Amino acid sequence: MRSIVPINRDTITSFNYRKLLRRLRYIFIGKEVDSGLVFRLFMYVILLDISFIYLKPMIYMLTTMVKSFSDLTDPAVDVVPRSIYLGTLQGAWATLKYPTSFVYSLSIAVLVAVLQIFSCAVAGYAFARLEFPLKKFWYFCLLLVFIVPQQVIILPELLFYNKVLMIGQVPFPLLKTLPIIVPALFGHGLRGALFVIIFRQFFSTQPKEMEEAAKIDGASVFRTFYRVMFPLATPAILVVFLFSFVWSWNDFYLPNMFLNGAKQVPLSMGMLSIESYLSAQAADTGPSVFDDPLRMSASFLMIVPPLLLYIFAQRWFVESVERTGLVE
Amino acid sequence: MKKKRGLKGSTIRQIEGSLFIAPWVFGFLAFMAFPLGYTFWMAFYTVQIKVDGIHYTWVGFKNYQTILTGNSDFISKVLPYLEQVLVMLPVILVFSLLAAILLNQKFRGRAFFRAIFFLPVIFSSSMIVKTFMQQSQGGLDFVQQYNVTGLVTMYFSKSLATPLIYVLNNLVIVLWYSGVQILLFLAGRQTISLSVYEAARIDGGSPWEVFWKITLPGMTPFIFLNLIYTVVDMFTFSDNPLLTLITPQMNYGYGSALSWLYFAVILIFLGICSLIFITVTTRRPAR
Repeated sequence: MRSIVPINRDTITSFNYRKLLRRLRYIFIGKEVDSGLVFRLFMYVILLDISFIYLKPMIYMLTTMVKSFSDLTDPAVDVVPRSIYLGTLQGAWATLKYPTSFVYSLSIAVLVAVLQIFSCAVAGYAFARLEFPLKKFWYFCLLLVFIVPQQVIILPELLFYNKVLMIGQVPFPLLKTLPIIVPALFGHGLRGALFVIIFRQFFSTQPKEMEEAAKIDGASVFRTFYRVMFPLATPAILVVFLFSFVWSWNDFYLPNMFLNGAKQVPLSMGMLSIESYLSAQAADTGPSVFDDPLRMSASFLMIVPPLLLYIFAQRWFVESVERTGLVE
Repeated sequence: MKKKRGLKGSTIRQIEGSLFIAPWVFGFLAFMAFPLGYTFWMAFYTVQIKVDGIHYTWVGFKNYQTILTGNSDFISKVLPYLEQVLVMLPVILVFSLLAAILLNQKFRGRAFFRAIFFLPVIFSSSMIVKTFMQQSQGGLDFVQQYNVTGLVTMYFSKSLATPLIYVLNNLVIVLWYSGVQILLFLAGRQTISLSVYEAARIDGGSPWEVFWKITLPGMTPFIFLNLIYTVVDMFTFSDNPLLTLITPQMNYGYGSALSWLYFAVILIFLGICSLIFITVTTRRPAR
């Protein structure tokens, strides 16, 4: 329309003026509401704020654990310590018996995670694709398992493992964790139902053609699963592995129940030994300024392994969650 | 010549399927159904563990009676906790939904922010959150700065103010418990196809309308999923008051009754939540 307007000096300047205004508007407010500079700025402010909230306890943890005595007693030192003092960290390392507890925790978490990947994938595949008697009933049971809390079934298990199998007297520390590991072998264990559901969702979103091709080529259903469907499930495997590993690593309830009074405990129970050490010390000499740094050092030592795993895996992890069809 | 086979194709498929599900079913019977039934049975007994074995004495409903009428911790601990969950639930759901929508946008540094927002997935199940709580790193500075607690107690009744103050004081912790929820919402957001949004834009829908008429209805199933997940999570997480009530040292009969009551509370709570959710979502008139 504008090209029809006869060109003279006046209209050209006003035209440019309007064009400039429009361009400014596009920059600040955007062609769409969510593409302008103002919205971007607003979004970044919110995101940075929340990120700070998430990171604040960690920053506190990291800075507190390296504070020396003079930093802790000096009111001028707020967050950043003047010098880095690693003595508290060493104390926590010793109190937690870090190397052995670390290996212990790691072996439990990896064992549970790997077992759950296989057993939950098998069950999830069956729920997604195969026929078996009473399928609807078992699916209902799966959902039931999802909502039954551990506390409801813990007492008979305690009775069974402690009084019938005498698991408390077993000499090897890893054998004592059997009550934690064995359910994982059968697709249960810590939040096993959730993992079965994740695998079920993943397999049911896959195209059927792959299995049909494998079947026509003469593969049995087992071969189809292990050669075709299971390798396909890499995103779901990644998600389940990370969840399972981290949750078993952090889990406090089951070790506290089954390993109560055991000499060798996983790291998740380490906080308890730190607390009892601190209260014993407090009864002896009164609370010390190092109480807090010690707690923070212990926390740091506990979360470093899953944190490293997460930093290493998070790129694939986020993509995987989007691709698993985790929810549907 | 007709080759005779012993089994029909459908029967073979059923057998194969059964073989695949057998480990899980065995696990279900051994690690879920049996203990569940056993606690139910034990709840009617007094269980004494002696050197020569385990003795059961029939007491009927006495265990339940002691819990519900006697001076046990159950009622005094569960009711306030339910209140807290009820307050925390919407906060977690709304926050995680908004965070997921924000993180779904394309912008520079998205991967970085996503990495931070999923950080709680690692920590929320851990004892460390409890340590953070004890260090009172859970609160927000402005809550103390502007005496929000005082204002809340002034303007709300006490029964409403207590959980509100709890949430305000632990707002950061509440956010820490929404890691998996953000993840689920983000995954759910991918299921709404882009073409719907394009169509809305061409028709001149503002982002506000798009959110209420496309995003929110499309996310309804995931909100429900997250609701259930959050409730289950809240009732099993490490700072749960009921976790401390059931210990290996107690009378197993009493403990069993306790755990069944607890389970019943969760079921009823889940039922009420689902009922509210379903009525809210279906009553909305179709436009």
